[in-house]
Amino acid sequence: MNTLGELERTVLEHLWAVGAPLTATRLRDDLTDRGLALTTVHTVLTRLEQKGFVDHDDSRPRQFRALGTREDHVADLMHEVLGQAGDRQAALARFVGSVGDDEMRMLRELLAGAGNDAAPA
Amino acid sequence: MLPATALALGVLAALLAWPVPAALARARWPRRDPLAALVCWQAIGLAGGLSIIGALLVHGLSSWGHSLPEAWWHWVTRQPAQEVVRGDHWVAQTLAAVLALELLGVLLLSGVRTARTRRRHRELLELVVRPGAAAPVEDETLLLDHPAPVAFCIPGARPLLVLSSGMVAELDEAQLDAVVAHERAHLREHHHLLLLPFVAWRAALPVLPAADRAHDAVRDLVEMRADDVALTSLAGPDPRRTLAAAIVAAAGGSGGQVPEGALAVSGGPVAVRVRRLLAPADPLPARARWTALACAVALLLVPTVLLLLPALV
Repeated sequence: MNTLGELERTVLEHLWAVGAPLTATRLRDDLTDRGLALTTVHTVLTRLEQKGFVDHDDSRPRQFRALGTREDHVADLMHEVLGQAGDRQAALARFVGSVGDDEMRMLRELLAGAGNDAAPA
Repeated sequence: MLPATALALGVLAALLAWPVPAALARARWPRRDPLAALVCWQAIGLAGGLSIIGALLVHGLSSWGHSLPEAWWHWVTRQPAQEVVRGDHWVAQTLAAVLALELLGVLLLSGVRTARTRRRHRELLELVVRPGAAAPVEDETLLLDHPAPVAFCIPGARPLLVLSSGMVAELDEAQLDAVVAHERAHLREHHHLLLLPFVAWRAALPVLPAADRAHDAVRDLVEMRADDVALTSLAGPDPRRTLAAAIVAAAGGSGGQVPEGALAVSGGPVAVRVRRLLAPADPLPARARWTALACAVALLLVPTVLLLLPALV
């Protein structure tokens, strides 16, 4: 089963792996085990472009390249989730918020204190 | 003639804009029963909006009839006012409309914007997370390759639960179970919906310190509630300690990130969570809990009744 989401990931993974701009035809040939039609490759590339993961140049035929590495995208997401940018509400429920050094020290003491209380029992 | 109604609503609005939220934010019982406190906060938000808009509306339309429904009907059907309409009546009408539009508009906008960000995050996660990189705890949990110990969930029709590899490295298996149970509690009880109006109104009413306070209180209560729910599903000899240890470990790993503002060292929300896990207070007695819930219902009923019943004399 080739769902669109899966194909997007496959194409993006391939662009990341190759690390250089590729044409749609080349992508189809590289992913020949998937049995993709050229139109499907174009659909997937368009979707990836809309999401901001892929870019193309003006040469003929057009060459597609990945925008940013996987690590870049993870870093961006973490940046938002860690509350330094963007809409903090979106990924609600981050397990624990940021804590200052002083509070951290106190938290460790709290935990250690409770451990000592429990130990003799 | 509706002045007494307008006055009563105005007084209620003033109480709900400042002293009531201040008292509830300061009170210590909410951490013993976060769920009841969350209900109270929702009632305060709703009743506050209802009474301030209602007060303005009642005053603005007071020349058109003896009760708000009647005056409203006369106004809508463009019947002549029964008494002299002064400038302040027009001002009150306008303010009521502006405020109602702002509160609802901001709520809508905030909801849309948040949904869009969530969709973007979900798309990103689905592309970026390596296939088969499910976290060791749960199949539906995504494992994000990042050293900071972070866990979060993205609510929605297809909720996602995300653990960072740093979190997995930092915690043992029981602690990870606790984290997952906590996040799952958020998703199951739709805590993002409880928080949404307070996020929106904080943005809409930056001048109102109570809006800030209410938001922070609700945010912290939601975390406590998720802790409580998580505890009920955890096995192991001491789930409270396990969860507390997970919280401390996760907080420690992200340490040095950004201590946001100056959190009071002993009063920070994380410390409160850890304390109430390690040294739990008795749960609120049933009577106190029902009193709190009854107050919440009364808070909603009072402005509703004032708005619908004929004018007080």
